[in-house]
Amino acid sequence: MIQELHDKLINQEITAVQLVEDYFKVIQEKDSKIQAFLTLTKVQALEEAEKVDKKINRGGKIGILEGIPYAIKDNILVKGVKTTAGSKILENYVASYDATVIKKLRNEGAILLGKTNQDEFAMGSSTENSGFFVTKNPWDLTRVPGGSSGGSAAAVAAKMIPFALGSDTGGSIRQPAAFCGIVGLKPSYGTVSRYGLISMASSLDIIGPLAHSVEDAEIVFKAINGKDQKDSTSIDVNFKDDIKNLKFKIKNLKIGLPQEYFVKGLDEEIRDRIEAIVQKLLNQKIQIKKKSLPSTPYALHCYYIIMPAEVSSNLARYDGIRYSPITNHQPPITNLHDLYFKTRGYGFGQEVRRRIILGTYVLSKGYYDAYYKKAQKVRRLIIEEFNKIFEDVNFLITPTTPTPAFKIGEKSTDPLSMYLSDIFTVAANISGLPAINLPIGFTKNNLPIGLQIIGPYGSDCSLLQIVKAIENMVKVSL
Amino acid sequence: MDFTEIDHLLELARLELSNEEKEKIAHDLAKILDYVNQLQEVKTNNLEPMAGGTFSKNILRDDGIDSRKLNLEKEGYFEVPPIFD
Repeated sequence: MIQELHDKLINQEITAVQLVEDYFKVIQEKDSKIQAFLTLTKVQALEEAEKVDKKINRGGKIGILEGIPYAIKDNILVKGVKTTAGSKILENYVASYDATVIKKLRNEGAILLGKTNQDEFAMGSSTENSGFFVTKNPWDLTRVPGGSSGGSAAAVAAKMIPFALGSDTGGSIRQPAAFCGIVGLKPSYGTVSRYGLISMASSLDIIGPLAHSVEDAEIVFKAINGKDQKDSTSIDVNFKDDIKNLKFKIKNLKIGLPQEYFVKGLDEEIRDRIEAIVQKLLNQKIQIKKKSLPSTPYALHCYYIIMPAEVSSNLARYDGIRYSPITNHQPPITNLHDLYFKTRGYGFGQEVRRRIILGTYVLSKGYYDAYYKKAQKVRRLIIEEFNKIFEDVNFLITPTTPTPAFKIGEKSTDPLSMYLSDIFTVAANISGLPAINLPIGFTKNNLPIGLQIIGPYGSDCSLLQIVKAIENMVKVSL
Repeated sequence: MDFTEIDHLLELARLELSNEEKEKIAHDLAKILDYVNQLQEVKTNNLEPMAGGTFSKNILRDDGIDSRKLNLEKEGYFEVPPIFD
């Protein structure tokens, strides 16, 4: 889609201003029902679009993303724009600097139209935990769009925006992409700078694109990746080596099917659809091997120790004084102790409070070894198992989610059942691996089905090439 | 988990909760801890805990001595240029 829009702009079939206005019109028509956006940035968007038009009129050459509208999840900072991360505690916070990804997209000339709804501080799998309102799934308004990047996924799926950025800590890009029937890429940990992303769990968080096609996701990933002085965990992906490797291997590609992902509880329609895709790959003479990752079922257990531990420490900064003070306490607060306790008690939603307490518990004296240290050991085991399996196969294919999009309210009262909707996505975060959701069809009830492809650490570019090939196969059969 | 334990955690986390919510949180935490406790089944003898999601290490430069700034003649300590006059 990005290439198409780019061609229209350079052939002057449409102006950048017109393009921006057209998208705002679609947003105005559809968003009252879907509620994907928290903030719109129309004035700035039109100003930037005018600049692009002037450049085109002067006969200037424009880049592939120049003049292309996009949206971002509200936990990514944009200078001068409200950034809430879906939380009441940041209700009035206006960011004082641009995140590195924003700076990069700005340099490419992409145009920001708005910020999208999310579960508060990215904690949730349905966008029901937003401090403001619930986003609906464009395919069925009674169902959730997934989460936590639910606003970004719904906005792309409803064609309110060509692409959006989300963040993925345990599946928050891939799971909503699967529920909304779009492409969602979680890059290798560290390949995209986290500078300006509001921290949730720093050893797991990564920013990535949600888009209509794998090609679009690739265009965006190439624009935002790379080592950044401002994020010491960021790294450069070696594109050339990665692709060279792939060219050598493509004719004898081996794909693994980890049996632990095809267990009881997996929706039958999802299982059937994936089996049909696997059959197509076999017809193409691609080798498929059944594999086992015995420690992977414990990835979710590890996740619900490591993530809340990091959350409890990252969210300590919200003290009621910095960022977005809450001043309307009744009766008025007279001492610092009460200010902390009341602001954090009022400003954080229920799920955030639950995770802060859980994280405080697993890190507290007497429990640290049994929980946190144990989880970090199992994490090593899971990573080693993945590394070993990738000596034998190039990529792994799994379902992205155990079920299609569920009903609004269906899981919101039982935290554990909500947590289990991330069961197939968390392992890639625990081990830092790149993984992508590819839409592969629909259930009888017209709900999207997603396929997850996981690659070795740092193989983002070759992963995208392989998934493009699978995408073409799927398109033919849809 | 009893109320005393919850209160201790709330004190550490600087959070205020209503009694009603304390009850709900205690119930939820018991369920979640039951679940994550299944990790004890996994054998992890001789495994070093990870410190993050990757094997990357700190990149540090080697310590070096800039002889122009130091007087190594005086034994036992470094002499550095004066900072205040």
